[in-house]
Amino acid sequence: MLDTTNRAGLAQGATQLGWTGMVRFLHLTPRAFLPMRAAETITLVAGRGIEGDRYMIGNEEGFYSHKPEEGRQVTLFELETLVALKRDAGIELGPEEHRRNVTVEGVPLNHLVGRRFWLGEALLEATRLSVPCRHIEEITGKAIFDPLINRSGLNCKILQGGIVRVGDAVRNAA
Amino acid sequence: MKARPITTVKTIVTDVKEAGAGIKLFSLADPDQWELPPFRPGAHIDLHLPNGLVRTYSLCNEPADNKRYVIAVKREPGGRGGSRALHDEVAIGDVLGVSLPRGGLDIVPGIVRYVFVAGGIGVTPFLSMARHLEQTKQADFTLHLIVREEVPLAAELGSLIEQGRVVVHRTFLSGRPDLAPLIGKSGSETKVACCGPESMIDDFERVTTTWPAANVHIERFVAPPPVIDPDAKPFTVSLARTGTDIQVRAGQTMLAALQAGGVDIATSCCGGICGACKVGWIEGKPIHRDRILSPYERERYLMVCVAGSDADRLVLDL
Repeated sequence: MLDTTNRAGLAQGATQLGWTGMVRFLHLTPRAFLPMRAAETITLVAGRGIEGDRYMIGNEEGFYSHKPEEGRQVTLFELETLVALKRDAGIELGPEEHRRNVTVEGVPLNHLVGRRFWLGEALLEATRLSVPCRHIEEITGKAIFDPLINRSGLNCKILQGGIVRVGDAVRNAA
Repeated sequence: MKARPITTVKTIVTDVKEAGAGIKLFSLADPDQWELPPFRPGAHIDLHLPNGLVRTYSLCNEPADNKRYVIAVKREPGGRGGSRALHDEVAIGDVLGVSLPRGGLDIVPGIVRYVFVAGGIGVTPFLSMARHLEQTKQADFTLHLIVREEVPLAAELGSLIEQGRVVVHRTFLSGRPDLAPLIGKSGSETKVACCGPESMIDDFERVTTTWPAANVHIERFVAPPPVIDPDAKPFTVSLARTGTDIQVRAGQTMLAALQAGGVDIATSCCGGICGACKVGWIEGKPIHRDRILSPYERERYLMVCVAGSDADRLVLDL
């Protein structure tokens, strides 16, 4: 039987198996409610957030900015979830609509909580899974709350800043 | 000071101009000229005015014009104060919070012709729809504009009037026209819509009774009463620690009632899964509806964002 209390053993196993993903889309917006705008590159600032984004610490212009959170400096979302939404629920959701900053492919986001990984030049530490919220349904007008439970992305803090480009690799940090 | 949640879209008044007798056009934009939340043709927004009033106005620009919201406001001296505040107190450079756009016309495939009937300043949502249809060429349209004498937004409507796509009917000459011949015969490829005074909407509803509901659209100056779940019942929330009673209206969430009553409740998902608004309950029959509390936890806690009450009174540990 699998010993699920042996986190170190599981983590080591995951590292050995390995994964490498890719940045597919980048989005940001300066204020709550405004549409996300696509970018070819974004600049991550260690300990603060993304330049020009609503959740950059010091900006406090996001829908949840009244609830400060160190680990929400950059948010990620799986491209595979968009495919699954279409396949399983018949819902077309674009990468600009899920309101996370970085859409990645080939990255097992739900396995990364508490772990460090490279996003382009930047080193991130995943703090917690994102949860869906009614706010996103209000903005998109799409019934995506239920289908996004347990696959709503990942919140991270930025340990080492840098430029992130569409097409950059995402890889585990040792 | 404790940070408050952001509940409105922040806009700046970028233009104010006269648009006919007693009418002003206001343009609202993001402070950095970012795109604004998208809208359907003829959608409306709530404006949070400097004097605390919240008023709803139709957008009269088209969805492709996505970096501003344009509203036309007729000053109503005997109104409830919203139009007076906008006309008399709001100027270029002022910051206004607005809601996300709601409503508007659903442009559906299969509709090849739209007939709009507007009374006076009720033309505003149809100006948006007409501009949208003119640009996208998704369907043909005719707008019948019924006015006493003067045409509102004449400069904006000018070219559409010249093209014959807007037909002006002046009631001071011949009274209000019969709406039946204006809208023509019912057909699955035609959609008709009306915005104007209540008496005009009553006439419109009368002449469209045999039309399929999906092909009839009505915009009212005054919002109809909200649709309430027929099974929802009002109840009283008693706060044990403060001794306060708060009424929860039928169809209202407990969270909204508590917040309206000045109770500061942490929230996040507002859908019963994140746990931010977990509150202890002491007495009553809660209806839970959340998806995270275990049966054991439900004996002591509830999530105020989704929970209801199966009894007249629910006592919370607040």
